[in-house]
Amino acid sequence: MNSITSSYRLGGTRQSPSEVDPWLLWSAIGLLVFGLVMVYSASIATAEGSRFTGFQSSYFLVRHGVFLAVGLVAGLVTFQIPLRLWQQMAPWLFVSGVVLLALVLIPHVGRAVNGAQRWIPLGLVNLQPSELMKLAAVLYAADYTTRKLADMNSFRRGFVPMAIVMVLVGALLLREPDFGAFVVIISIAMGILFLGGINVRLFSILFLFLMVAFVVLIWISPYRRERLFGFMDPWQDAYGKGYQLSHALIAFGRGELFGVGLGASVEKLFYLPEAHTDFLLAVIAEELGFFGVLAVVGMFALLVQRCFVIGRQSLSLDRIFGGLYAQGLGIWFGVQSFINMGVNMGLLPTKGLTLPLMSFGGSGVLANCAALAILLRVDYENRQLMRGQKI
Amino acid sequence: MKFSKSPVLAQAVPAWRARMVLVVLLAGFLTLLARSLYLQGFNNEFLKVKGEARYERVLEVSATRGRISDRHGEVLAVSTPVKSIWAIPEDAKLQPAQARDLAHLLELDGRELNRKLASDRDFVFVKRQISPDLAEKVAALNLPGIHEQEEYRRYYPGGEVTAHLLGFTGAEDAGQEGVELTFNKSLSGKPGSRRVIKDRRGNVVEDVESIKPPQEGKDMTLAVDDKIQYLAYSNLKQAVEQNKAKAGGIVVLDARTGEVLALANLPTYNPNNREGLIGAQLRNRALTDTFEPGSTMKPFTAALAIEKGNYRYDTLIDTAPGRMTIGNATIHDTHSNGLITVAQVIQKSSNVGAAKMALSLPPEAMWTMFDNLNFGTPLKLGFPGEVGGRLRPWKRWQAIDQATMAYGNGISVTLIQLAHAYLAFARDGDLIPLSLTRVDVPPQSGKPVFSAQTAHEVRAMLEMVVGPGGTAPRAQVPGYRVAGKTGTAHKLEGGGYVNRYVASFVGFAPASDPRLIIAVMIDEPSTGVYYGGEVAAPVFAQVMAGALRTLGIAQDAPVRPLQVANAPAAREEM
Repeated sequence: MNSITSSYRLGGTRQSPSEVDPWLLWSAIGLLVFGLVMVYSASIATAEGSRFTGFQSSYFLVRHGVFLAVGLVAGLVTFQIPLRLWQQMAPWLFVSGVVLLALVLIPHVGRAVNGAQRWIPLGLVNLQPSELMKLAAVLYAADYTTRKLADMNSFRRGFVPMAIVMVLVGALLLREPDFGAFVVIISIAMGILFLGGINVRLFSILFLFLMVAFVVLIWISPYRRERLFGFMDPWQDAYGKGYQLSHALIAFGRGELFGVGLGASVEKLFYLPEAHTDFLLAVIAEELGFFGVLAVVGMFALLVQRCFVIGRQSLSLDRIFGGLYAQGLGIWFGVQSFINMGVNMGLLPTKGLTLPLMSFGGSGVLANCAALAILLRVDYENRQLMRGQKI
Repeated sequence: MKFSKSPVLAQAVPAWRARMVLVVLLAGFLTLLARSLYLQGFNNEFLKVKGEARYERVLEVSATRGRISDRHGEVLAVSTPVKSIWAIPEDAKLQPAQARDLAHLLELDGRELNRKLASDRDFVFVKRQISPDLAEKVAALNLPGIHEQEEYRRYYPGGEVTAHLLGFTGAEDAGQEGVELTFNKSLSGKPGSRRVIKDRRGNVVEDVESIKPPQEGKDMTLAVDDKIQYLAYSNLKQAVEQNKAKAGGIVVLDARTGEVLALANLPTYNPNNREGLIGAQLRNRALTDTFEPGSTMKPFTAALAIEKGNYRYDTLIDTAPGRMTIGNATIHDTHSNGLITVAQVIQKSSNVGAAKMALSLPPEAMWTMFDNLNFGTPLKLGFPGEVGGRLRPWKRWQAIDQATMAYGNGISVTLIQLAHAYLAFARDGDLIPLSLTRVDVPPQSGKPVFSAQTAHEVRAMLEMVVGPGGTAPRAQVPGYRVAGKTGTAHKLEGGGYVNRYVASFVGFAPASDPRLIIAVMIDEPSTGVYYGGEVAAPVFAQVMAGALRTLGIAQDAPVRPLQVANAPAAREEM
């Protein structure tokens, strides 16, 4: 320890080039591992009882484990790529994401599950473009804002180009439909524009406009309206529209402060749909109680806080792209985890959003790992710079 | 001053915005925690109640059905745990090799198995009620969509021997016939209940509490004696086969207690495997089928005539010339017996003699006697389909009716009614009710029908039937004095008598102190021999001999070879 500290102070030697933010790293690893355990616990009964999994109880565990391994490798590879390259690739990655979002809408190319066409089957696994699009959106918005920093006060040059792009992406997402991803991506884009210093008056008008648009979107679609009313009072139609949410709430109530014990959830026994994906937190709440939820929320809060700390550090080093990227990532994880957990608790209307890093899903885990690896790269490069080293 | 606050580093990007966004996000997380704490720490009772309503169920805990045993505790019916294999056809997508293994284990036809698994229902039984060992082997195959459930199967060690007596249980373990039905309520007990948590597919995942323990079914001890039952059944079976008869029945009663010691019918069935069962096998003929008893009724006529003072056992009756005309009908004896005593009327079974005695009696008195003997009304043992036979009201009797009823025509009875009525002779003229269950304290006396004196006199006459010159020397049992009466009746079909017969014999032993009553009925013997004395009496003798020995009843006759068995028996009148 002593030698590391001294070398840090001296800032000269190359003994600690791989040092990264330990809080960020451990909160992320904690969420990933906790997620793996809970995915197994939540899925064990459905996996064992379903013909589609071949009655194998570890069906989802094995797959999620493989996804994590792939995500880890992807993260290690991603970490090697300098931030400069990411900034250069950002528009292209974004364009690729848009192409995938368009592809998924083509019949026979995209696959629909439960009325939402969100997946592109690739043999063994299914690709969910909207998950990758979230990462592309953070990169692109950070790059865009960095480039247009001088135009942030201009409606025409600063805001309109981004708005046009977002309307396009938003339209594609709503076609699937994937309202959850739509909200997350718009939040990322608007958040980064706001952080980048966009005119406050402009932003307020925009914010108001978006609010109105949201309300209109909800009102014109019976599917979304139903979900909204189900959330307002799940007990009114507890076996119909409020079915899923009422079971999620029962899971919370059963868990009490300390939970019924790992593996002892009843809700996961075919009552609560999507227990291992969107409603993973409900199973955590039932099995591990309030303190389980506290641990999850705490780790997310820590993760988001580290994103903003690294971002501020980066900005103060005048590395605008890295800074906006880091904070944009914080918005992504913060907003998505907040919405997912809020849905689980009946604070927000039900929509198909996973819990980042924890829920079952290959595309999600892969995108999350890659995004974190880029954040770690931002941090790494910051530290290198502060030591006066070249990147 | 912090490094980041250094004015040297004046940023293009305002730092307060990032702080604001972070604060908003963290505030969001705090809101989540508050909500979680509310749901889990304060509103949890409401939510738990809602949860219980969804997956707590009250399950019935079935009570084990009581055992049925014979008077000595030999098990006659017992419930054993078995397994049933069932499948969810949609889930049961078996490899051909797996299907072969399963079919082989369950001894099923491969095609039949495939047909079952191809069903579009959600639930099919693959095979019901297999042994737990076999079920374990099936479970070891670990096949998808194949499940098992525990059930109870009623097993009858006696098989067809006790089939009609015990009956059987059907679906849901409920008694459907015989004793199983009669005592169903006490045998089946009362199911209890327990509260469980079920998953959404209905599997019990947790036992919460027992609400009410099941009240197990009561074991019951029947009056029947396993050994006598077997004797009765096997001898009846032999006789029915030998005489190529359509059916047969036998009842053994304890004269002191009214207990039914044995009850068997043919044709019968195996209650453990009721596949292909037909109605004829199911009929408990001794209770459900009536027949015209014929000469077995004559002793009652004689008893009433003596009781009324018109006749004594040695009163002479002129039966010549072997026929008698009443109105436009004629009653026949097979040959003229001439002037004979009342005792000889019974011994030789003279129709004319019996008719003459009957005609000396008021119809009402005769009817009352029949009614007192329980003819015309069911015995109410509780068996399904029990009937009372036909006894028309005396006011509508013509003289000819009264005369023919004297020798058992124009009246119909069940075998068990007949055996029961003979209790009056075996006892001191009184009748006690029959009992299917073991009687530990025998009734001292029952309903009087005849005086003890009359009963003793008739008993003496019935002994003569079995003796030399009687109609049933083949009913003799070495070492014991036997009393009884043969019956051979034409069957009634389509309103007229046909040349098909019901041969019967009712008797008791030891005659000095009657202990057992046996009634045998053989329906339609078709080898040319059809007299009760030749068809039914031997069954009586064999069963009585075995039963008396089994019960260790003291002999009451000197042991001497009775050569009379070879002498031709007197032919009874029909």
